[in-house]
Amino acid sequence: MHKYVLRRVLLAVPVLVLSSLIVFSLMRVMPGDALVALMGESGNVGERELAKLRKDLGLDRPYTEQYALWLWQMVSFNPGYSIFTNEPIAVSLRKAIPVTLELAALSMVIGLVVAVPIGVLSATRQDSASDYAGRVVAVSGLSLPDFWLGTLVITFAAIWFHWIPPIGYVSFWESPWRNLQQFLLPAAVLGFRLSAATMRMTRSTVLEVLREDYVRTAWAKGLAGRMVVYKHALKNALIPVVTIVGGQLGVLLAGTVVVETIFALPGMGRLTVEAILYRDYPVVQTNVMLVAATLVTLNLVVDLTYAWLDPRIRYH
Amino acid sequence: MATVTERVVRIEEAPVVISRTRALLTALRRKPLGAASAALLVLIVFTAIFAEVLAPYDPLAPKPEIRLAAPSWEHPFGTDDIGRDVLSRVIHGARISLWVGLLAVGIGTAAGMIIGLLCGYCEGRVDLIFQRVMDAIQAIPALVLALAIVSVLRPNTTNAMIAIAMVIIPGNSRIVRGAVMSAKQNRYVEAAQAIGCRHPRIILGHILPNVTAPILVIASIWLGNAILIEATLSFLGVGTQPPTPSWGLMLSSTGRAFMEQAPWLAIFPGLAISLAVLGFNLFGDTLRDAWDPKLRRS
Repeated sequence: MHKYVLRRVLLAVPVLVLSSLIVFSLMRVMPGDALVALMGESGNVGERELAKLRKDLGLDRPYTEQYALWLWQMVSFNPGYSIFTNEPIAVSLRKAIPVTLELAALSMVIGLVVAVPIGVLSATRQDSASDYAGRVVAVSGLSLPDFWLGTLVITFAAIWFHWIPPIGYVSFWESPWRNLQQFLLPAAVLGFRLSAATMRMTRSTVLEVLREDYVRTAWAKGLAGRMVVYKHALKNALIPVVTIVGGQLGVLLAGTVVVETIFALPGMGRLTVEAILYRDYPVVQTNVMLVAATLVTLNLVVDLTYAWLDPRIRYH
Repeated sequence: MATVTERVVRIEEAPVVISRTRALLTALRRKPLGAASAALLVLIVFTAIFAEVLAPYDPLAPKPEIRLAAPSWEHPFGTDDIGRDVLSRVIHGARISLWVGLLAVGIGTAAGMIIGLLCGYCEGRVDLIFQRVMDAIQAIPALVLALAIVSVLRPNTTNAMIAIAMVIIPGNSRIVRGAVMSAKQNRYVEAAQAIGCRHPRIILGHILPNVTAPILVIASIWLGNAILIEATLSFLGVGTQPPTPSWGLMLSSTGRAFMEQAPWLAIFPGLAISLAVLGFNLFGDTLRDAWDPKLRRS
């Protein structure tokens, strides 16, 4: 297992370095430079002021130096300043990350709580009405855009129940009830989307496992149905589900971008969209890199968990 | 000798073409959902091609006197905040979505195919380098990467399309690479190498025809995703710009602002996106089951 962990970690390093190179070069592909583009849009800015700003931001240095400096800033958790608000990016991130983490964790919990039982039910009652209902829910989860679902949820909650989520973000520690009211709908929307793939995977793996010999043996021993499904089948069926959940992390992080924008939650996603709209490239660069690093790390954790759950993986 | 070669070619090629069409038709006949999705796609394509004829009104012409009118016989989907007919805008929106989807998937698939063919055929260092770059691109979630690309290139429909194409490349290249590696093991490739065929001929003449099934299946599944990403980018204000009728843009510009007064502004464009994505997803599933059941797991 140690060898496997080491190999996986070593493989993740070049991926991260290459991702950082891609993000860095992407931000410099723009014709001219980011600052000229930004200032050109905002009105008359003198050449001298531009030169000073460029110097302050280190844009006058060679690319290799800029890249090394940026990497150092990222590693030392001090990714510079926003061009637009002049606020240190670390400060904005400190405010935004907990919001996204809470949204992501809640969505994941809702997604799993919905997906696994419906997936098992669909499999154990294959081709029944409840199976079809479960499959329709899964397919709609994959096809309904989350921004549409979010818009509809807000609209109909307001029209039918005369209820709108409280405006102005409040952290969980300040007021847990108000905070949950703000997060429940967005997490449900995102959780619904996440549940779709997990539900399909749970259904197909449970179906597969239910046909295995050891399950037949369990039935033959006269075990109760619940015991066979939950104790014998589900435990093994859930192993591939871990991978699917891991694969969903990208969807989850991308989903927070949309859902935070709709529900006006001041998280990483909204911060990124605003930075993109204002062409605040240091913020875009930092946020995209942070998302990539998070995803690579989480995928590594998922892979390691998978290897821990299924020893065969380590020897491949 | 010539007759023998001809016969060999005929025997090798003929069943492939017939069996693929037949396999798809059989799958469509056996799976009602697959047939329904195919019908839905035909409808969407038809709507996009004949948008000018089908749309009852000009999608850009405002009529302030009937602003925010509820659905009626004259305006089945109602009107928006400046009195434009929502049905006509949804019909014209099909054109934008399909156009962006087709071009983005076309570019992404072609580029992914070239990289996949190269990596799968050459293996070794070329493969290692390209695959690590693909890993690095895939480390960034598709939507976030598309957003970053659009932010660099400026928000508009063409750049959204380029961004979506870029996002498609890594996944496609990986699938093609896998298919090429397995196709390479076949005897006919070995035979082609033995008789001294050049690499381009082996790749284009012998390997490519045998990996088209997974390429087409993945492309059809990606079409739905591409439409969804375009709609999301437009919804976030970095894709298609007003007044062009794009489904995502319709939802964000007027759909959200007037959602309580006029819910139809949010309902119909969203429904159109969902149906298009659903259609492509289901059709992609059917195509996969018919042509390449091995892909089911990936």
